[in-house]
Amino acid sequence: MMPSQPPWKQGLRRTDPDSGSADLQLRALPTVSLSSTRTCESGACPVLLENMDTFSDELTSPGEEDDQVEASVGAGPEIHLPWRLQHIQSIVNHGHNGTNFTRTTSICLNFIQEAVLKHQWQQASEFLQSYFQALEDVNSQKRQVAPENIWKLGSAILYHHPKSNIETFSAFADRMKNIGVQNYLKISLQHALYLLHKGMVEDAYRNLNQAESWRYGEMSASQEKLIKLIQAYRGLLDYYTWSKKRTELARFDMDTFASNAATQDMHSYFRQASLNLHEIIEIPGVWDPFVKSYVEMLKYYGDQDGARQVLTDYAYDNNFPSNPNAHIYLYKFLKKEKAPGDKLISVLKTLHQIVPSHKIMLEFHTLLRKSKKEKHRKLGLEVLFAVLDFSGCTENTTAWRYLAKYLKRMMMEKHLDWIQDGWSSRKDWWPTFHFSYYLAKKNWKENKMLALKKAFTSGILLGKGCKYFMYVSKQGHKVKEKSIKTMKKFVKKHNILDSEEL
Amino acid sequence: MSFSSLFHRNRDLRIGHEPCTQMDFPDNLFPTFFLPGPPGLNDSPGLYLAPAWSDCMQLLKPPQTQDPSVNPPQHETSYVTKWGRWKSDTPGPLPFLRPGPDLWNPELTPRDLLFQGRLRRPFGAKATVDVMEQLNQFLWDHGDIAFGPLGKLLQEDFNLGKAKKSRKDRTVMNAERLLQDLSGHQPKGCPWAHLSTRQRRFSLLGGTVLAEEVEGLLGGLLHEELETRWKGLLLDETSTGGALAWVPGAKPHVGQLVYPTGQAYNQLNFQKVKLFSTRKPQAVGDPTQILLQGPVRQVVTRTVQGEALLAVRSDHHCAVWQVSRQGHPEPLQVLGTEKGATGISLSPHLPGELAVCTRSGAVCLWSPQNGLKQIYKDPETLVFKDSSSWRWADFTAHPRMLTVADRTGVRLTDVRGPSGCGEFLFRVGAEASCQRGERILLAQYLGTSSPVSLSPTLHLICTQFSLYLLDERLPLVPMLKWNHALMSPPLLAELLPPPCPGAPFPLLLGGLGGHLRMLHLSGGSSHTPQLAAPPQSLPSLSDSLPGFPVLEPHGQQLLQDRLKAPLMGLAAVVPPSCPSPTMLLFQLSAAGDVFYQHLWLQPDTNSKSADSLQNSKSCTDHTDDPGLHSHDQSSATSSLDTAPDSGAVSWNPQAVACCRRWLKTLLQVPPALPPWTPPTFSQHPLRWLREEVKGKVREGLQAAMNEGRLLQQRDLGPLPPSDPPPAHEPFGPENKLTERLEAFWEGKGAIWWDSQQGSTQVPRKRPSREKRRTQLSSSFSSIRATSDFSDMDSHHGTPSPLHRMSEASQSQELSQEPWARNVPRERRQTLRDYLAVLPSPESENCSSPRSQNRSSQTLPTSEPMSHSVPRSQDPRTQTPLRPHQRNSSALCSQNSGIRSLPSRHTPSLAGSQPLKKKPRMGF
Repeated sequence: MMPSQPPWKQGLRRTDPDSGSADLQLRALPTVSLSSTRTCESGACPVLLENMDTFSDELTSPGEEDDQVEASVGAGPEIHLPWRLQHIQSIVNHGHNGTNFTRTTSICLNFIQEAVLKHQWQQASEFLQSYFQALEDVNSQKRQVAPENIWKLGSAILYHHPKSNIETFSAFADRMKNIGVQNYLKISLQHALYLLHKGMVEDAYRNLNQAESWRYGEMSASQEKLIKLIQAYRGLLDYYTWSKKRTELARFDMDTFASNAATQDMHSYFRQASLNLHEIIEIPGVWDPFVKSYVEMLKYYGDQDGARQVLTDYAYDNNFPSNPNAHIYLYKFLKKEKAPGDKLISVLKTLHQIVPSHKIMLEFHTLLRKSKKEKHRKLGLEVLFAVLDFSGCTENTTAWRYLAKYLKRMMMEKHLDWIQDGWSSRKDWWPTFHFSYYLAKKNWKENKMLALKKAFTSGILLGKGCKYFMYVSKQGHKVKEKSIKTMKKFVKKHNILDSEEL
Repeated sequence: MSFSSLFHRNRDLRIGHEPCTQMDFPDNLFPTFFLPGPPGLNDSPGLYLAPAWSDCMQLLKPPQTQDPSVNPPQHETSYVTKWGRWKSDTPGPLPFLRPGPDLWNPELTPRDLLFQGRLRRPFGAKATVDVMEQLNQFLWDHGDIAFGPLGKLLQEDFNLGKAKKSRKDRTVMNAERLLQDLSGHQPKGCPWAHLSTRQRRFSLLGGTVLAEEVEGLLGGLLHEELETRWKGLLLDETSTGGALAWVPGAKPHVGQLVYPTGQAYNQLNFQKVKLFSTRKPQAVGDPTQILLQGPVRQVVTRTVQGEALLAVRSDHHCAVWQVSRQGHPEPLQVLGTEKGATGISLSPHLPGELAVCTRSGAVCLWSPQNGLKQIYKDPETLVFKDSSSWRWADFTAHPRMLTVADRTGVRLTDVRGPSGCGEFLFRVGAEASCQRGERILLAQYLGTSSPVSLSPTLHLICTQFSLYLLDERLPLVPMLKWNHALMSPPLLAELLPPPCPGAPFPLLLGGLGGHLRMLHLSGGSSHTPQLAAPPQSLPSLSDSLPGFPVLEPHGQQLLQDRLKAPLMGLAAVVPPSCPSPTMLLFQLSAAGDVFYQHLWLQPDTNSKSADSLQNSKSCTDHTDDPGLHSHDQSSATSSLDTAPDSGAVSWNPQAVACCRRWLKTLLQVPPALPPWTPPTFSQHPLRWLREEVKGKVREGLQAAMNEGRLLQQRDLGPLPPSDPPPAHEPFGPENKLTERLEAFWEGKGAIWWDSQQGSTQVPRKRPSREKRRTQLSSSFSSIRATSDFSDMDSHHGTPSPLHRMSEASQSQELSQEPWARNVPRERRQTLRDYLAVLPSPESENCSSPRSQNRSSQTLPTSEPMSHSVPRSQDPRTQTPLRPHQRNSSALCSQNSGIRSLPSRHTPSLAGSQPLKKKPRMGF
């Protein structure tokens, strides 16, 4: 290694007098091969290998490696561009390298993809029949990737083909499960979801059951997770059965013996479901349907604490993504439980920090409004301001009504500083965002109620000289809108501009 | 009376109607794992899980918590049966505007850079950059740059004249003989060149040293250049976002297309377009053009609160225009960026607010009223280290929040808060089950200011493999992931309004290579966005090739290259008041062509019948299971019969006529073959020009440099008469041979011959052989032109100072010569010797150069042409000879016939042609 020498020099040194070409590779190129070799070593993600195949046997010469290592130390791998290979292959190979087999296979794959993208399902299915030869590829990596491709494309084709039916799909899935054991779990799960989508719950359940009991050698980490997911879905189906039994039990007035047996039956479903659902909920992820059903079952059996714990964990565990639904579930649960207001407020406060635009924020505002604490009442104003910050809420009449009303109350209660606090970060953009002349015209035309509420708010916040206020009051005056007069009167007396001057 | 009570009394007001808020969050998300980690994590099951199911499985609804068997999922009609299928009128896009006058050359291809031969290694299909070839080319094309400094260094050790017998000069090598050996032929490039022993010895001795120097100095620079070129070839990020935009006009059926043209993409065009519901769109009049100072990379437009704004990003400038309702663009403000801007976006919330990001990692909020506000600056990338300096910024549902993106991640940043805080919206990592080497290529906010939008919180993120949809309320967890499998970087995306109420939103995705995909997104508020139908591919420009008439190979290649030009912009317009939902798709290619395509939702009658057919069939076929196979086959054949006529659209006569018209205009543009000139050593021929011509040339140069294009002949004024070399003659624009062949082909050979006889009798009197000889010899003698050391102001009318020098060689006067001022005294002799060795112009010609040339200067332009050497029929060379050019060369040549400087050497051709045609004499 000659660190003092620039890399290009090393490249030029390697000039091969025989071939007559300098064997200098651009730094962008060898890193491709490096990343490929690394992936190969580490057990390989198949999708990458598919693309990398041609490079797999291409090891970099020592001179270049220095470079690359340097480049990749502390950094992520270089960008991998799938079309780079295409660029290179068209030049380098000229068909010399690939056998007819690999070429026809790749051409066939292209044809299938094209046909799928053009929704020519029949044509795609015919091409797919020819693609099966890829399963016999001499290249082991390609052979591994082939079943995955076939499954992906085949399931898509069968899903959309006008003449395909559930039987065909199932037959195809069953075949594919056993070609290349790696995909067994994945295909099983997708197959089950397909059946579920088609309303065939029992078949789906059977499928999941089968997949769960599948064992083949040592399981990789991803397969373990997949098994967990399969179990969770089975648990969900168990929950369905459980809830069906529950409604049956409630509906029919059975004699004790029969009802006992039915209850037992129901319990067993609960046990199965809860076991599986409980397990998946522990793993970080988005598990809305699982959590919901699990909590419902716990609640039915009176385990309020357990249910609350599950929901709290789901909402507050830092390893989980900040899922707004988790907070909503908790809030709704607590509300049903008739939890104290402070508790509810604290839950919604967290949600307010994550998603200030959520529709439940209006409910949060009413909670805060009613609160006796001054801090909460101040927050109530901020919540409303925050909701109206978002472009999707600009025409939310309820929010504007709340704000107009609340601002008025604040003015009466002489909480001018609260309004100032909320307004100071908005005064440079709210006038154009909410109170422009264009919007005044538009709002007045489309929704007079909204226009009035907004005009009142704008009057308080911007004074009576505000364009929005002026336009709406003028228009209101024309149609003899009586509230306009009161509004004008109020705004004249109370607005934060004048109060500031005072 | 309280204020609120008044409100309640107003019953006539519309009360209580609560528009469905757009900000509802879907209350049941698809289950998925959330596992942070680096991209390409092997055991991330995310790869197999819901968002990653790129294909059909996306269509699955998340399982509901109610029992599906209690409430059996109604067999919902598929997207196709419900809404139909997007169909195109023609198999490919049609040309919309006439091709521009500028010729377009296909850009660099991998073929230009990579080693193409077969390598000797048995298993090494290796992509190598052909540095040897590139270096070789460079040395040929820019020999002066490569060897000039070396020559200066070696100047002291070589004597070019007669050997001196002084002690001091013992170390000086006499190169006289060497030069003699060299003169007369160019060893390089000529396989029969004779190599003398002296030359061999010299190259053996000096070769290593000389080669190493050149190699060492040039290799690095060349490598650097090749690397950037190769990177640019693989991923050209400059046009991210697209340079074609649609500005809606005052009426719904008019609007403007805004796009750049010109070879440097520096002409911004505003083309008024009229839309029709049934007919093709019509361009109204000529486009309004605005000449800009740099290439236009991105054009963005938005209409916020009735105000149409247009933002343009160039390499180092950004600009905003306001487009009035009549369609007149009015410039608002220009922003200069030192490091170069990489992205610009217009706010969908506040009129006149923009987000600009630069290569230095800064993101600024910019509004013409309030100026610039930097809200984020970090030269490092967000998640992990990446070398790319590409940055992107866009808006979010909150007008004060921006997304800041680079190759590794997307971050939400509050404008009001301190810089650098904010959470990640997206991270290239295991959360989104990204692959190793995956990078963000595009990050776009999908919300619009219009009330009908998919969801105001959705963001589109494209990598080289996949497309992600993210909701800013649930960061890091993609709502949808689809493997787009595009074979070019997806740098263009556009979300369109639904074709009819309730229908899914079409999302267009365009790759730089022209590949187009259309996705159908359903969802809206309170639902997660989903693919309502399998994605569709749309025809690209190269699919239009069959619509054009077949041309001869050269024209065909031209057309093919043109249609394969990278896609630079995409704009979709929904024409108003159409009976059936339609869409117009405009495409801008790098060649400056605007093509359009008419798409319409075809109600799908086929699949309905197929469905019913299938239902009936499945009823009957259910009994015999083994018959499944045969059933499949029969269906295959039956649908094969029906499929082509339902699916395929053919080229209708109007479309073909449209293509034909366009092609005609395209081929009318004269192919700008660079005029051939023999190699010349002269680097400063411009200095011989007259003052006013010089000014003109300078202007031309300036203009060309500003536009970043090649210097062309028209920039430098009329071309001096030049004789094309014999070998090139048949390829001249006025091609005798072709003409003749054509005539004979049509059976009009005799007529042609007669006409030729008549027309060419006079100029053909002189045998051309002599002329050619002059050219050839002059091409090697043109070295004299280099020696213009003099200040350019002094003698414009004079012949080369060297001529005079040779006349007055050895005289004392020499030291006063202007050229000699820059030459050290001790080197003058060497130079003199060197010049003496060179074949000099005949003394009788130059006996009184001054007077002769003064007189020639006074010659009127209309001097009879017979004075000059006969010229070929090339019309371009027919430009009148300018007096000052004629003074030394033309007249000389007339007299001497052997040694002359043909007039074509005098003007500025070295700069006016591609650099490839530069001196070929190596060392």
